Amino acid sequence: MKKLIHISIALILFTFVLLSGCASHPGEAERERGRAEDELILAIGTEPEGGFDPTLGWGRYGSPLFQSTLLKRDHEMRITYDLAADYSLSDDGRLWTVRLREDAKFSDGRPVTAEDVVFTFETAATNGSTIDLSNLKQVRAKGSYEVEFELHEPQSTFITLLISLGIVPKHAYGPNYAGQPIGSGPYQLVQWDRGQQLIVEVNPEYYGEKPFFRRLTFLFLQEDAALAAARAGEVDIAAIPPVYTRTSVPGMKIVDIQTVDNRGIMFPYVPSGRVTEEGYPIGNDVTSDLAIRRAVSVAIDREALVDGILEGYGTPAYTINDQLPWWNPETVFPDGDIEEAKRILAEAGWIDEDGDGIAEREGVRASFTLLYPSNDRTRQSLALTVADMVKPAGIEIIVEGKSWDELKKRMHADAVMFGWGSHDPIEMYYVYSSRYQGVDYFNPGYYSNETVDRYMEQALRAVSEEEAHEYWRQAQWDGETGVSFHGDAAWAWLVNIDHVYLVHEKLDIGRQGIHPHGHGWPITDNIASWRWAE
Amino acid sequence: MKLIRLILLLLVLSIAVFWLVSLSPIDPVQAYIGADVMRVGPEQRQAIAEYWGLNDPPAERYIRWLSAVLHGDLGTSMIYRAPAAEVIAEKFTHSLALMAAAWLLTGVFGFLLGILAALYHNRWPDRLITWYCYTIASTPTFWIGLLLLVVFAVWLGWFPIGLSVPAGRLAAEVSLLDRIHHMILPALTLSLIGLAPIAMHTREKLLDVFASDYITYARARGEKGFSLVLRHGLRNIALPAVTLQFTSFGELFGGAVLAEQVFSYPGLGQAAVQSGLRGDIPLLVGIVLCSAVFVACGNMIADLLYRFIDPRMRRGEGAG
Repeated sequence: MKKLIHISIALILFTFVLLSGCASHPGEAERERGRAEDELILAIGTEPEGGFDPTLGWGRYGSPLFQSTLLKRDHEMRITYDLAADYSLSDDGRLWTVRLREDAKFSDGRPVTAEDVVFTFETAATNGSTIDLSNLKQVRAKGSYEVEFELHEPQSTFITLLISLGIVPKHAYGPNYAGQPIGSGPYQLVQWDRGQQLIVEVNPEYYGEKPFFRRLTFLFLQEDAALAAARAGEVDIAAIPPVYTRTSVPGMKIVDIQTVDNRGIMFPYVPSGRVTEEGYPIGNDVTSDLAIRRAVSVAIDREALVDGILEGYGTPAYTINDQLPWWNPETVFPDGDIEEAKRILAEAGWIDEDGDGIAEREGVRASFTLLYPSNDRTRQSLALTVADMVKPAGIEIIVEGKSWDELKKRMHADAVMFGWGSHDPIEMYYVYSSRYQGVDYFNPGYYSNETVDRYMEQALRAVSEEEAHEYWRQAQWDGETGVSFHGDAAWAWLVNIDHVYLVHEKLDIGRQGIHPHGHGWPITDNIASWRWAE
Repeated sequence: MKLIRLILLLLVLSIAVFWLVSLSPIDPVQAYIGADVMRVGPEQRQAIAEYWGLNDPPAERYIRWLSAVLHGDLGTSMIYRAPAAEVIAEKFTHSLALMAAAWLLTGVFGFLLGILAALYHNRWPDRLITWYCYTIASTPTFWIGLLLLVVFAVWLGWFPIGLSVPAGRLAAEVSLLDRIHHMILPALTLSLIGLAPIAMHTREKLLDVFASDYITYARARGEKGFSLVLRHGLRNIALPAVTLQFTSFGELFGGAVLAEQVFSYPGLGQAAVQSGLRGDIPLLVGIVLCSAVFVACGNMIADLLYRFIDPRMRRGEGAG
């Protein structure tokens, strides 16, 4: 009897001794980096489960790390060269010619040639990936270091593919490539523990600026686990949602990066009555009225949304592409103005006659439903707050959370809280073009405006970037019409959500550009310039 | 006979999963594209659907899948873009180590605590153990996991916050001790939860035994305490414990899903959640079948052990 108790106590003690013997990590009090000077551990996002094959979509946000791309964007969104030494576009906008630099090598020592570029684009076009190359008619090598891309139709945004698609080696590409990538990028893969971590080291053959950090380890942790890891001193960078900034983590600073990762309300643009091929209803008799859309947009206090919901980590949004080179700054307007909203409504005949606080016109109440994906807390908060904000102006918004699959059936007839944000202006075309009415998630509200369509077609056909940008800007607002608030107010854009990171207080992560939709990998875009601060 | 029943079960299960997924509103193309909506045009969506054969009717896809399985091919996972069998095997080895450790701890400590409680019936050790078991039985796995994580990994820093190997360490440098160190918290989470039913059943059974005539007789002869249990009780109380222990394979599986989520432990649980959410049918069906086989194995082992522990069952087999 007594023996048994003694044995159990001894066992418990033994376990404790064993456990504390294993302890190798310092607690919060004594925070020391238990790793070499030139090593970093990062917990910045989810695992690319499909592996690291650019032709399957790896590297579309931020740099592909192991591979290099033909062109790049710098922190001011200007286009610069990477593998390319030069590029040109024919006058009809259908033939892109890219000349390659001749000193680039893959990490196995073989040179990067035109053959590899052709192979990369042909592979990406045929293997059922998320890279849209349907407009590419043919890609061919002219000599060892020159490549020609022939398009079916002119597309100025094709350049985004030259910027985002990492080049893979033809000689070393096979079914297992995604797990053992070989490329000409700044780093090479050392080890990938699926579901856990990715260890990379500097590529000795890299032609560009050599990164300071020799070894990087990316941990694939959920946001709360990443915060726990940061608190325990196990990581140098952790991506966190804005709410987690309320408590500080000793030894780490908060870095927030501006984005076009936006949220906004999509309004059904046409009156009700029609149905889609699948039988889902199209159109809404309230939101199809310009006065309603403009009143909602002007009544919303965007600064208050940023402060209240995003803890200040965000910016007000006025278009789908705020601050990007093709943005039109004239789209900004003073908001949070209830009186202006009331005036707009009254002018259009929306007046509250029965005294219930909600305006009506010809028997129709100024009331509509706003849907949001129910698993997204930020969108839920935005939707509920917006409903509160527009109420004093006499508009009722009924907020409902649904699954994406339910949203898909109802989004043509009800307003939806969507999020977009890309470094590619083609997104604007998808969202606003009448060619994409009711096509997937692109233009669910059946928006259409002939003038806007014409500007966007011209932008696609443009042969210089600057020319294209000008047409994109005009499509937003040309002084008379456009998609933004001053024109059709087709969407009410609300906020751009900053990407927030906990970063070791001595680590300098260089100058970051405006991040696109998708938290995480974009931060590695300028990894070569990361340093320890003095 | 048992084998035929298992095969039938697997067949029905796979049909059920296919049928349920085809009823679910998840659009696999959308799930595959994920956050990439803005980059993928309609033509490309069509291409993706065709590449993965998503446009064919469910029945046709099921038959195609079944004939592939008969040739030993579980299909290709959409998420991992790798053979489903490969993905499952890899994840399963991680989960198996974790579950085995938790299972052993559960069995040993559950059994011991149960005996302890019965020996001290109605005194404080019994009350403490009973209270603990009742509390823990109504506690969700992930919550216990979070608690352990906060206390032992974040505050005390004794254990890593997750993963199955040290961050940034190359595979060749990872020792067995490292792996054990990383497994302790998740295994502890699982066993803390799992031992409650075993302890309680063992306690009840032992109390029954204590009330029996032969124990009274043994006591009258002066036997007492632990040796009494050892000589006269063990065989009698082992049966419920063993039954529970082996039929708990299913619960172990469910608990592991949550524990793995909390500790970022790369096991089958995480893969199951992902495949379900993203409509990855080959992987999902593979995991369901795999877990069914796993649970069936547990039950079969329990059956075999009965015969070993209880000689009456061996005789029963001869008669039947």
